[in-house]
Amino acid sequence: MGPVELLHMSVFSQSFSPCGRFLAAGNNYGEIAVFSLSAALSPDATALSQKPVLTFTAHEGPVFSLLSTDCHLLSAGNGEISCWSWSELIKKNVKPLWTKRPNYKSSLEIPEINSMAINSRDNSLVFGGGDNNVHVLDLEHGVFKSVLQGHSDYVHCVSVRDREAEILSGGEDGAVRVWDSRTGQCVHCIEVHKYESCARPQYGKWISCLTTDSDWMLCGGGPSLSLWHLRSLSPTSVFPLTGCQRQTTFYQDMILAVGEGPAVSHCLLGGEVKAQIPCTPQSLNTLQLNTNSTEHRVLTVGGSSDHIDVFTNLSYRTFSFSF
Amino acid sequence: MGAVTDDEVIRKRLLIDGDGAGDDRRINVLLKGFTKWCNSPGTPEEGFTQYQRMMGILAQCEFSMGKTLMVYDMNLREMENYEKIYTNIEQNITSAHDKIAECKKEIQRAKRIRKNRQEYDALAKVIQQHPDRHETLKQLEALDKELQQLSRIKENVDAKLELRKKQFHVLLSTIQELQQTLENDDKSDNDENSHESPAQNGE
Repeated sequence: MGPVELLHMSVFSQSFSPCGRFLAAGNNYGEIAVFSLSAALSPDATALSQKPVLTFTAHEGPVFSLLSTDCHLLSAGNGEISCWSWSELIKKNVKPLWTKRPNYKSSLEIPEINSMAINSRDNSLVFGGGDNNVHVLDLEHGVFKSVLQGHSDYVHCVSVRDREAEILSGGEDGAVRVWDSRTGQCVHCIEVHKYESCARPQYGKWISCLTTDSDWMLCGGGPSLSLWHLRSLSPTSVFPLTGCQRQTTFYQDMILAVGEGPAVSHCLLGGEVKAQIPCTPQSLNTLQLNTNSTEHRVLTVGGSSDHIDVFTNLSYRTFSFSF
Repeated sequence: MGAVTDDEVIRKRLLIDGDGAGDDRRINVLLKGFTKWCNSPGTPEEGFTQYQRMMGILAQCEFSMGKTLMVYDMNLREMENYEKIYTNIEQNITSAHDKIAECKKEIQRAKRIRKNRQEYDALAKVIQQHPDRHETLKQLEALDKELQQLSRIKENVDAKLELRKKQFHVLLSTIQELQQTLENDDKSDNDENSHESPAQNGE
């Protein structure tokens, strides 16, 4: 990989292995790199341990989304989903278990898949992408169960609300749609840009990040990042962050958000920004917390650079992996 | 085996008193002086001074031995002391570890509480924006009463309108009837006149 390619690399997605010792990251060249977290965090780590243990080309297009289940790694790119076994990847065997592609209506252009989420209730995979629809794939039988139609522009992000068996999807058309996962009907449609407190017309109305905590939902993008109470469908706090946020997550009593700007923002639920921790990439695309392991509890962020920053203590950057 | 222990003994003796400046030399001097004193032919005063000297050397040796014994005792007691301190510090370390674990749990609990409190605050903020339920109920009641009043007024007005309509109807119909009767009367008068005149003409 030449220096020019490294300069133009963007990391779009990350996922931790189920044992918590490895990190898989996908970039815009369609490659997935597996880094060994346990080697890099051990006391005798060298500069070599910050390089990937395995790099392979997974798709022809950029890998926009990665997701780990109990023993598999699912990667989405160029309209198809591939499944890899983590144990095989650790042994450096790069053969996908299966590759599936849903039935797209138009066969001319292949829509990309932007985001995936697991619905653990019925062991299905929910994903959304460029064809304006949300697809549901049953992981046990490997068949595409249903297609949720309703968005008028492509879907940026999906999330699953465990307690009420609902699927949330946010898209370019500015609407956050809440679907019932059993019947496939759109239960609610929230147009975030229509609320004055959240709207930022100078950025647009698209929703690029969505995450839910069953009672609460965070969404942002063109409009400011805002915290919504899902029962009453009302925005409770708006976060004064400049730039558009691309990924957010709830962590203990805080909210972590990454987006435009070389910093990870820590916010409180009340709406104030507690801290902004600087990182290497100029603009961040993905944020992932390692909840699968107790001794390697780290936060990793990646963005428009070939470096992936690792935070062992949330307040400062410890080191960076690089492709 | 005998050679080894001899070596050990020699090594130890060299270590303790290698240059012969201390007790070893004193004991040798004592022994030599004793043998010389035993075999000396000199005067009793000399013998006495010799004897005094030997007693002095003996006292020095005893003194030095007493000191060594005390130092040995002291070392033993210091060792005990250190052992005690060591176990104490170990206990402190384990209790500190326990306290740290407790504090970590406390922090998790406190963070959960803080999260709940913040969620509550956020919801409360939204709820405050909506008007009070009692006020809205009161407003609703007042509006209800107004509505009832207005509908009552409407009913009254309607009734009055009906009544007036009926009255006008009665009036108009009586007028019509009167008109009819008058017309009929007129016609019958005219008829009578016209009957009479041809009758008159005919006669």
